[in-house]
Parts: sequence; structure tokens; C-alpha cells
Amino acid sequence: MSEMHHDHELEMKKALRPEIERDNTYWLSLEQWKDDPEFMKAAETEFQSSPLRGSDEEGGWARREFLKLMGASIAMASAGCIRRPVQKIVPYNKQPEEVTLGIANYYSSAYFDGSEGLGVLVKTREGRPIKIEANPGHPFSVSGLSIRSQASLLNMYDPERLKGPQRNLFNEKKSNSQVVDVKWEELDKKVTEQLKKGDVVVLTGALASPATRAVVGDFTQAFKAKHVVWQAFSNEEVREGQKASYGDDVVPAYRFDKAKMIVSIDADFLGTWIAPTAFTNQFVGGRKDIKNMNRLVSFDSNYSLTGANADIRMKIKPSQQLDVVMGLLHEIIVKKGATSQAGNAAVKSALAPFADVAKKLGVDPALFAKVAADLLANRGESLVVAGGLQTVTEKSKELQIAVNFLNSVLDNDGKTVDHKGGNPALQGSYSDLAALINDMTTGKVKTLIIHGVNPAFVLPAELGFGDAAKKVDMVIYTGDRIDETGVFADYITPDNHALESWSDAELAAGVYTICQPAIRPMYDTRSFQLSLMTWAYIAEQGPSRLRDYETFYDYLRVFWKSDIQPKAGRGQDFEDFWQETLQKGYAGELSKGSGSRSFKVDAFTAIKPAPATEGFELVLYPTAQMGDGSMNNVSWLHELPDPVTKVVWDNYVSVSLATAEKHNLKQASVVELTVAGKTIELPVLIQPGLHDDVLAIAVGFGRTRVGKVGNGIGKNAFALATAKNGAMIFSGQKAEFKKLSKKYELAVTQGHHSMEGRNIVAEATLADYNKNKGAGVHRHHTWNIWSGHEYSGHKWGMAVDLHSCTGCSACVISCQSENNIPVVGKKYVLEGREMHWIRIDRYYTGNPADAEAVFQPVMCQHCDNAPCETVCPVLATVHSDEGLNEMVYNRCVGTRYCANNCPYKVRRFNWFNYAKLIEKPLHMALNPSVGVRVRGVMEKCTFCVQRIQDAKTVARNEKRAVKDGDVKTACQTACPAGGIVFGDLNDPNSQVAKIFKTEERGYALLEEWHAKPSVRYLSKIRNNDKESTGGHNGHGTAKQGEHS
Amino acid sequence: MMKRNPLVLGNKTLKDVSDDICAPVERFPSKGWMGMFLGAKTLLLFYIAILAGVVGVGIGLLGVNSPVFWGTMIVTFVFWIGIGHAGTLISAVLFLFRQKWRTSVARTAEAMTVFAVMTAGIFPLLHTGRPWLDYWLFPYPNQRGPLWVNFRSPLLWDVFAVSTYATVSMVFWYIGLVPDFATIKDRAKNKLRRTIYGALSLGWRGTARNWSHYEMLYLILAGLSTPLVLSVHTIVSFDFAVSNLPGWHTTIFPPYFVAGAIFSGFAMVVTLMTLVRIGFPEFKNYVTLDHMEVMNKIIMTTGMLVGYAYASEFFIAWYSGNQYERFVFVNRAFGPYGWAYWTMVSCNVLIPQLFWFKKLRRSIPVMFVVSIFVNIGMWFERFVITVTSLHRDFLPSSWGMYAWSWFDTGVLVGSFGMFLTLFLLYLRLFPAISIAEIKPVLNVGYDDKGGHH
Repeated sequence: MSEMHHDHELEMKKALRPEIERDNTYWLSLEQWKDDPEFMKAAETEFQSSPLRGSDEEGGWARREFLKLMGASIAMASAGCIRRPVQKIVPYNKQPEEVTLGIANYYSSAYFDGSEGLGVLVKTREGRPIKIEANPGHPFSVSGLSIRSQASLLNMYDPERLKGPQRNLFNEKKSNSQVVDVKWEELDKKVTEQLKKGDVVVLTGALASPATRAVVGDFTQAFKAKHVVWQAFSNEEVREGQKASYGDDVVPAYRFDKAKMIVSIDADFLGTWIAPTAFTNQFVGGRKDIKNMNRLVSFDSNYSLTGANADIRMKIKPSQQLDVVMGLLHEIIVKKGATSQAGNAAVKSALAPFADVAKKLGVDPALFAKVAADLLANRGESLVVAGGLQTVTEKSKELQIAVNFLNSVLDNDGKTVDHKGGNPALQGSYSDLAALINDMTTGKVKTLIIHGVNPAFVLPAELGFGDAAKKVDMVIYTGDRIDETGVFADYITPDNHALESWSDAELAAGVYTICQPAIRPMYDTRSFQLSLMTWAYIAEQGPSRLRDYETFYDYLRVFWKSDIQPKAGRGQDFEDFWQETLQKGYAGELSKGSGSRSFKVDAFTAIKPAPATEGFELVLYPTAQMGDGSMNNVSWLHELPDPVTKVVWDNYVSVSLATAEKHNLKQASVVELTVAGKTIELPVLIQPGLHDDVLAIAVGFGRTRVGKVGNGIGKNAFALATAKNGAMIFSGQKAEFKKLSKKYELAVTQGHHSMEGRNIVAEATLADYNKNKGAGVHRHHTWNIWSGHEYSGHKWGMAVDLHSCTGCSACVISCQSENNIPVVGKKYVLEGREMHWIRIDRYYTGNPADAEAVFQPVMCQHCDNAPCETVCPVLATVHSDEGLNEMVYNRCVGTRYCANNCPYKVRRFNWFNYAKLIEKPLHMALNPSVGVRVRGVMEKCTFCVQRIQDAKTVARNEKRAVKDGDVKTACQTACPAGGIVFGDLNDPNSQVAKIFKTEERGYALLEEWHAKPSVRYLSKIRNNDKESTGGHNGHGTAKQGEHS
Repeated sequence: MMKRNPLVLGNKTLKDVSDDICAPVERFPSKGWMGMFLGAKTLLLFYIAILAGVVGVGIGLLGVNSPVFWGTMIVTFVFWIGIGHAGTLISAVLFLFRQKWRTSVARTAEAMTVFAVMTAGIFPLLHTGRPWLDYWLFPYPNQRGPLWVNFRSPLLWDVFAVSTYATVSMVFWYIGLVPDFATIKDRAKNKLRRTIYGALSLGWRGTARNWSHYEMLYLILAGLSTPLVLSVHTIVSFDFAVSNLPGWHTTIFPPYFVAGAIFSGFAMVVTLMTLVRIGFPEFKNYVTLDHMEVMNKIIMTTGMLVGYAYASEFFIAWYSGNQYERFVFVNRAFGPYGWAYWTMVSCNVLIPQLFWFKKLRRSIPVMFVVSIFVNIGMWFERFVITVTSLHRDFLPSSWGMYAWSWFDTGVLVGSFGMFLTLFLLYLRLFPAISIAEIKPVLNVGYDDKGGHH
């Protein structure tokens, strides 16, 4: 602004100033009273020392002059330095209708990973998705999120996604690969030409989207193509079992919410099996009323999350899975003579070899009999499940049949097992894929379209997928990168990310969801469905609905109008139905249960006992964080501690304590494992509570072509699977190992597993609880010499129910996503620099060989007497009048004294400039309501202070007080178990205040240290017929010596 | 009356004294000195590079982590601050108690204090996450509210304590040097030297008024310094004692730290003095075996004091009945850092017991080795306190180990580069023994053999 301009402006301002009427009633000074002209001149300028004053006539430098010169001298001084780039920001030229800067929009959608489905809300800010939130009230997923559903956000912003279609310039033998960009038009032309030649196969993963299934159906009709469905976690064993037992080729719905007695034989339904988030919700729902809580008995060949949460956990090896079920049946049918099958001689003779199962398993026969008795006592309200990779053995079909038989004799079929309510998408089949590979090898497939799966990574070498793919004229792959399967493709037609495209989902039979795009496709990608539609359109083949529409959105609407509305529309107008579905995020309802089916007893009586085995058995298992490895390039997943082992950035062989001791294995030892002639080199993890004959390895690691983050992390254990007569065997294979002289450090976020007899996780048995609701909680008399803080407005507090918490770790990812928490990598986790604001501590209790596990989420406790606050020399961490322990990043110098003084060690320090390392476009996933932290400052859980502020703003705008439930922390919204309650302790009616006041299980962590945390933990109750779980071996918590 | 050993040997005349003490300043540096200086300077440059790396990249280059948020820098800070204490004790406290034997070692001990405090001072400044904002730790008027510092934080007290200590000991040291600077100026043969030392001597002319003022000021400064001997390390110990961490939160810390500081300081004086005696043989007549023996006695005494403190800590940990406290101490001795604990105990408690034997406490090689062990032991004492208390505190889930990196080694070793560079420069440029104070303690005048004057 020039000086001239400024003067002019000043004049204008003066002219606009209202004339002050002269009134001598009140006067400032004698000069004013006398109307002294000089005073009047001075009074004209509003302020005596305004910076807007013109140049000083009396000479000398006026302020502006001085500033100008100073500015010039600074400019000259810095002329030799690097100039800061000129960066302009431009607000919305045309503001989109729905977008208000600073206000988040939520779009309902669904997440499906091939096995698990969830109704979700996509939180967007200024047009970009920043977080996946739960869609509370969704009939299937109800509340909470899984780890991977939340991490799928980061998958969209993966810098290594393909930016457009690609063509692979193979030589004739397809032995080389050079990939070039290609235009969609050109690609479509080539592909269509090829499709017209016939022999087309579409290989997809499980498709939860009815509309996509319809598109694929139309497409197969158009080109007389075959559709093969395959998924790494196919749940084929369940369907095979159902087929053999009842003739239904379905994965039924399991209703853990209706079961009082649950027995799981290696089905990790709380961690990885089918739909763990919904199952967690159902399972924990059945435990909240403690006096009538359900009981979970787990026979576990790996230390699974389900085993960790079991009331009674028994370690087995895979070859004993069938024995367990048959043993239980023997107890019920033969020993107790119960159920309608008691008189069936064929059944009895089939069960005869299983009379001494308890002895064979090495478990207390009385305990085993009690499990059977409990099952029987809860007929129609019990549930026996088996499934997952751990159970895909040579005997997996027999196992499923036996389980089905057990459910049938217990009258659970049709009640807790609902064959009509399952997810119809779960149709993946290894045998179909094996047949397809056979066809490919024999040249029966000219065109192969692969969508949503990565067979080249998952399939063991003997299936020969790679060689078979080379014999196909044209392979089209819709993956978002040139991965293990992508290298075999001639054309890569990258699909949109799920958050970029319209779709729908049927997560359980009859429950429909529309997936809305939350962002325009970031790159030149095209949805798989539209690709199929386009090719049909160009080829002018297929049903008209496939060819007529320009977008999949149009197809979707037409499909919904014709196919979904009649089922779930309740006679509404279509537009209303559509709108309502978009708003609610779902339509339809869960199956109300189905009648019981007649069991084909022949299938059962054919079961023969497996010959006793010796030596080590392999257990392959998926992990909750990595799944089948498809999102292996998402750093959040690698840095999320495994819920049970707490290892990050690796997979490993878990061995029992006794095995480790016997073979002189240490935590950093490396072994060479041999399974059916295949070898793999892996580090050893010593796992308490594991069967001595088990060697357990997680799958989903060891990708080679996924990207910078995931490449070479761990080893691919899928490779150890064996294909035998068209069926797969994952677990129960004989395994051997050889200790190598190498060492390999595993990064573990929790290196110590015992509570050292401290009162950290309070735990009691149901028997204890029935006597005393506060059982297991050690209380202390504490007192203060000062009055403490006053909280006149809100006082925020949190209650964490350890009885509900399963340790699933969804909260950790939710917090990471909400609060822009950096990932530091294995090297720095080894050095103890992980950054998670909420961590889940896992302690083992009891005898290490049969260790039980407890979980405890620990976040900043927001202490009233916060030890961190007093020691910060610069007041960078201070107490708010609402009881928050606030961290002022700008003021933090980084002495780290606060962290030393924190008894909970929840503070995290920015050892390096992590925020600077965020690669574009991953920065788009950052939550703009939360700052990124620079290096050298401390950070920690804020109780999601940004959400508190938002809730307050909303309440203020609506001219009301903040009410209970307005503020939900990120960890709380993600928790499928409803284990976290947050709210205002000063509101006597808030849920959290009631828990603080009345819940007898409540206790403050390290109560005797009297930091007075704002977090209360509620003790864990184990329903295991014992008294004082914690009593044994001094590791427990129920009986503590008096101290301090 | 018992006859005392003469404080200065060799029947020195007053001129001899001036000649001897000024010699290292006036002659061309010896090869030995050059070699040591080059070595120390290289180490210093290495140190600067290490520190530049830490400041430039992040404190994460060191082994600090969660749960051990303080590591080598704080350990070495306390180590060097402790070293400084002997200097102040010798020069101020012994001065007030009229301990004449202090004269010949006081100057060097005081120099050691100044350099040790300088070396130490670097650490709290650079161990912060954002060292460029360290000035926020000072309560100065500002435009942020004004936003003041947290007067409840022991770290702030530390800032005051260390800066006061640095200032007072530097002034005290310098004032003591003034008459000697004048001596060097008077002896100077070239103009540059005369000018520089003239300026340094602040116009000292040796008049009665000069002496009168000088002695008064020296006495006052000695009086000022004396409480600092107790206060500085007391406040440094508050950094630990005022926190609520088991293993830190102990009332014994202030006296224990002070005793330890004097212990380590004397050990360092002995180390340096044995080296000075080797490097400048003429000083053997001034820094006699009697001096060394007295200091060794102090080492043994304070060594037993810290030994008592170690035992007392264990007793109190048991007696308190506090399970966390008990655990920390058991873990200290028998946990994964047990080796550090036993290194500390052997170096600080066991090895100084050798000084019960007169022959050993008067043997230069023995005392050199012992003093080195004591220095090692005292560094480990701070390591044990800082690291082993932090690495396993309340919740076993957060337990961890210190992630020692070679930057830690660089920082620790490099700090000796800084200290030794300064110390060698001092030996070369400043009179290492107080000429003005040594002359009055010569046996001149009361030599019972009649003397030769």
C-alpha cells in the first residue's frame, strides 16, 4: 500500500467519522473545556499514539517511516539468503454446496474386505476423506470398526497407487515385463477385440455388492464368460461342512449375541474369522450383564485374540481339533446319554474312539466334562464354532461336520446358527480356482479378468498360477498397483478405490448398504464395474442394462429400483427409499432366524479318528491387522502391535516356552522351517500358552511387489500351504525346524508380560464377583494436603471397561487416524519410539505354559494431580478448567521431564521431524482439526479435545448445553465392544459420571500414587467356575499384599 | 608442637617461584603439550560435529526413548557438574578455613570447575527437543501474555543454580588470577604479551590499596561460593528427588549428590594433578605428595559417604514398604543394568579403600588409576540413577531399555575433548599455581634450620 493511498484512505476515514457534538458537561482537561485549538487537533485523531498517525511534522522518524526503513534493512540483510517461495492460497472460487470450511461431512458407506463387512461413515473435510467412522445402528456391524476398515483410508492415499491404465510389453514368452502408460480408449479397443474371441473368465474376490454381482453376471452373459470367485480367506471349509451336513452351500450367520455358552475350536471370531467386529459386538453384548454373562471356551492352537478373551482357554494342536469336538459329543451323547441322538448306535460307534479325549489333550477331564455339560445345559443357547486357516487341515471337512452335528444336537441350528442370515458374498473357492488354473494351463482360457484378488501372492507354488497365466492370451488386472499378480497381466486397468466410487453392499442377507464416493477419483482410474460395462458397450454385447448406462451410478440406481427396493423398500417411493438409505446408511434388516435343518447323520458317522501324530505341526493364521496382506503397504497396519504378541513390522514363528527351552531358542533366534519340502527362514517368538508341538506363523506378510512400506516385511507364509487333490491344507502339516546361527531382532512394543504382582489390571472370577462386586480391586486410602482444582463447568472423564475390552486394537488405529499420529518404522520401535497415543497393554497371568491374557488400553489419564504439569519448566503442559491435561506444542521446548514423571508413560516425544516425512498425497489423510507436531515436542492423548470443541460449538449454535453423548472420542467410536465411555463428570446424569460414582468394579490405575486420574478402569470378570483367578502363582491381581 | 611438612619443596626463593610458575606460559610449548592439545582439539572438533548432528537432525540420534527419556546428556551433565565441586570446595571453603595446603592446587582446581561447568552447561541446553528455544527457560519479560516460567519445576531451579554457579566460580577464579596476570605482564618481553596480560590484570599495580581491596573481594567471593558447593548439587539432585519416580524420589539425594560431587571432583583434581606433575616437572615442588595424599584422604572419606548413601537407599527402599520403590532397587542391583550398578559400587566404594594404606595413597601411579576408576564409577552412578530408575517404573508394559547409540558415545567422549582443550589452553596461557598465594606459604623466615636468607 503506497503512502499516497494511505493518506487518501485516512482522509476518507476522517470524513466518515461522525461529528462529535461539543458538550462541555464532561471534559477531559482544562484545554478541552476552553476549546483550545491545539487540543482539538489532537483530539481529532482517535488515539493518542495510533500507528495510523501520519508522518510526524515535528521531524524525526514517524513510526511508519521507521518500519519502512527497518523492513528495507531486513530485506537487504536477507537478500543473500534463500527466499521463501511465494505461496498463494485461494479459497473456493465456487463453494461446493455441501462443503463448509472447517465442518466435516459424513457419508454413509460400507467396507468389505472379502470376509468382513461393516457399515461405515466416511468423514470428509473440505472434500477429502480423513477418517472412517462407525455407522452406529447398522443392523449388522452395530457399532465399532475393524483395524483394516479404518486403514483402508490410507490405502486410498497410497503414493504408489497406479495413476492410470498400464500395458505390459511382454515378449512372446512373457518372461520380461516393461510397463507403459496406455490410454483408456486404446485399451478398451484392444480388450474388446480380445473379449470377442471368447473363452473369457472373470476371477473376482468375494463380491459383497449385489449390483457388482449383477454387472459381472450380465457381463458373463454378454461374453459367455465364466465367473470364478476366490478369496484368500475363502471360508470354503465352512461351506463344505454345511453342504455335507445339511446340503446348503452357505456360510451361515453366527449369532454370538444369542449364545450363553460358546465353544470355539480355533475359530478366531474376535480377531480374524468372518466378521470379527460384528462378532465382538455380539459377544461382548452377551457379557455386559455380568451376573448372566456368557461363557467362552476356546481350544486354541495359536494364541488367538479369541483364546486371549476366553473364560477358559485350552491349548491344542491342529490335529486335535476334531478330537475336541468328537470328545464333547462323546461326553454329551455317550456319557450323559443326552439328546435325541443318544439312542443312535451308528453315532455311538462313531464316537467310541473318542472316549478319552481329555486325557489325549492333556486337559483336566473334569473341566472337559464341564464344558460339555455347560453346552448341554444351554441347549439352543450355545454355539460351537470352528473355522479359519487354523482349521483348514486334512480333516477340516470332518471337523466342520462334527461341529455342525454338535450344534444340531444342541438345538443351536436355526437359533445361534442361522443359515439364512449369512453373508451371501462368501462364495470363494480354492477348488474352483484350481480348476481355473488347470483350464488356463490347458489353453482353455483366452482372456482372464482378475479383480480384487492377488492369487500370485497367496497361492502356493505347486498350483502354478504364474505359468498358467502366461498361457492366457490376455490377462487384465484391476489392481491398484503392479503387484505379484499384476506382473502377469497384459493390461492393468486400475479400479477406483472404494472411497472413490459408487457401489453397494449386502453384509448379511437382507441388509443392504449403498457405498457413496467420498472423493472424486484421484487419478485416471475407472471402476471395475464401469470397465465391464464399457467393454460390453463397445462390443455391443450383453443385456441392455449393461450397455445403456454411462456410469455405474446409473446402473446401481436401476438395479436398486428393480432388485433391492422390492426386498427392502417397504413400499416406499424409490427416491425416498434411496435417500433414506443414503442417510441411514442401510436398508433392510437382519434375518430373524431360520428353522432347524435335518442333519445328514451319514456324513457324521463316516468320520474316522485321525491317527495320532507326533512332532511339530504347522499353524498358519491371519492377523487382525494384516489380514490376507492386501493392504500391506499401509504403514499403520505394520506399526500396529499385534493384539496378542505386540510385535510390529514382522511375522515370525511362535513356539512354546518348553519348545524354546528344549531347542535352545531365544527371542532373536532364526530358524529354518521345513514344511513338505518347502523352507522358510523366520525369527522365533516365544509365546506363552502355546501347545508344545505347534509352530505358528502369520500369513499376509512377505509381499514383494506391494510398495515401499510393505515389500520384504516378514515372509510369505501362504507359500507353506499345500494344494492336495484340489483342496488346500494350511494348518496341521508336519513341520520341522533347524536353528540357524543368525540373529534377527523382533520389534516388540511391550517387552514385559507379567504384572509383577502389581494391581494394574484388576481381575476376578464370576464367583468372586457374585460375592463382592469389587472383587479383585485393591483399594487404597489416599488423602490430599491441598484442596485440588476446581471444575466449575465441565469435567471430562473416561471409563474403560476391561471386561468388555477384547484387545482388538481398533481404537489404536482410530486414534492414529484422528490425531495424525506418525509411524516411525521398525528401527525406531526397537528403540522405543513408537508414537501411539493409546496403547493396549497385554499381560499374561497364571502359569506361563497355560497363560491367560488380559488387556488394558492405556491413554493419557488426565490426572487431577498431574505429575507432568508440575515439572515442566516452561508451562507447556497445563491443567484446563475442564480437567484436561493440555499439551501446548508451541510452548514445548522438549525437556521431556514430563514424560519421566508420568507414572503411566503415555507421553510420546517427536524425536525427529516425523511430520516432514509424510509423503504426498498421504498428507491428505491428515485431520485438519489436529495439528501435526514438529520435532522436539512432546505429545499425548488429548481426550480428543478437538471433538470436545466441536461439540461445544454445535451446542452453542443450537443454544443449548452440551449433553451426554455429544462428545465421543475417536477410540470410543471405533470400539466394537462399547468398552469406552466418555463424558462430563460434572453432569450427574452422564453415563460416565454414573460409572464413576456407582460402579463397584471401577478403580483408578495406580490409585495409591494419587495422581487422581480422570480415567477409571472397570475390572475384568472371568466366567470360569474358579474363585480368585488371580490367586495362582503370584502373578495375579485378586490377592495383593497390603502396600503403601 | 608437631612439625608440619613444608608446603613447597626444594628451598625455593621468591624468584624461583615466579620463574617456575611462569615458565609454561613463557616458553615455547613442549612437544608433549602440543601432542595432547592436538588430540584434545581433534576430539573437540568431533564433539562439535556430533552436537551439530544432534541439533540438526534431532535428539533421537541419541539413545533416549520411551521410557528412558533422559540419557547420556543428563548423565554426563550431572557428571561434569559434580566434577566442578572440588574446585569450589578447595578454593573457597578451604580458603575460609585457612587451609594453607590448598594454595598450590586451588588455581587449577578452580579452573577445572570453570571448565567442567562449561562442559556440563552444554548438555541441558542441547538435550532439549528444540534447543533454539532454550531461552524460554529464563524468566524474562516477554510479549506472550506475559508467559512466565514454571517456578515449581526443579528444572527451572536448575537453570538458576547452574548459571549462578557458573558466574560466581568464573568471577572468583578470574579475580584470583589478577595479581598473577600482573606478574606475567611485568615479566613480559614483548609488547603484545604485555598488552594482553596488562588488560587481563585490570591495571593491577600491586599497591597496598590494590592488595587490600583484592583480599576483601576474594574473601567475599569465597563466602559467596561456599554455599554454592552445597546448593548447586542439591538443586541438581532436586531434578530427580522432586519427581515422583521410584529411585529418584528420595530425600537422601541432596547430601548424597553433594558428597558424590566432592568425591568425583577430587578424583578429577587428582587425575589432572598427576598429569600436571608429569607434564610440568617443575610443579612437583609445589604440588607435593603431601597435597596428593590429603586429597586422597578426602576421596576415601567421601567414597565411604556415597557408599553409605547406597546402603541407606536400599534400606529405605525396603523399609518404606513401597513395592515400586523396592522393585527399583532390586532391579538396580540384579536387573538388566546390574552390571552398571556393580561397576559403580566397585569403583566408588571398594577401590578407594586402597587409600587406607599410606604407601598406596602416596603412590602417583596408584592414585592415578584409582582416580580414573572413581571418575568411571561416578559417571556410572549417574547412569544408574537416571537410566535404571526410568527403564522399569510403574507399569511393566512400558518397560524398556536405553537404546545406546554411537552418538551417545560421541557425546560422552567428545565432552572430554572440550574439557581437555580448555584445560590445556589454561595450562599454557595462565599461571597454573597462584604465584601471589604461594609466596606467603614458603618456608622463608620460619625455617627452623636457619634458612639461607
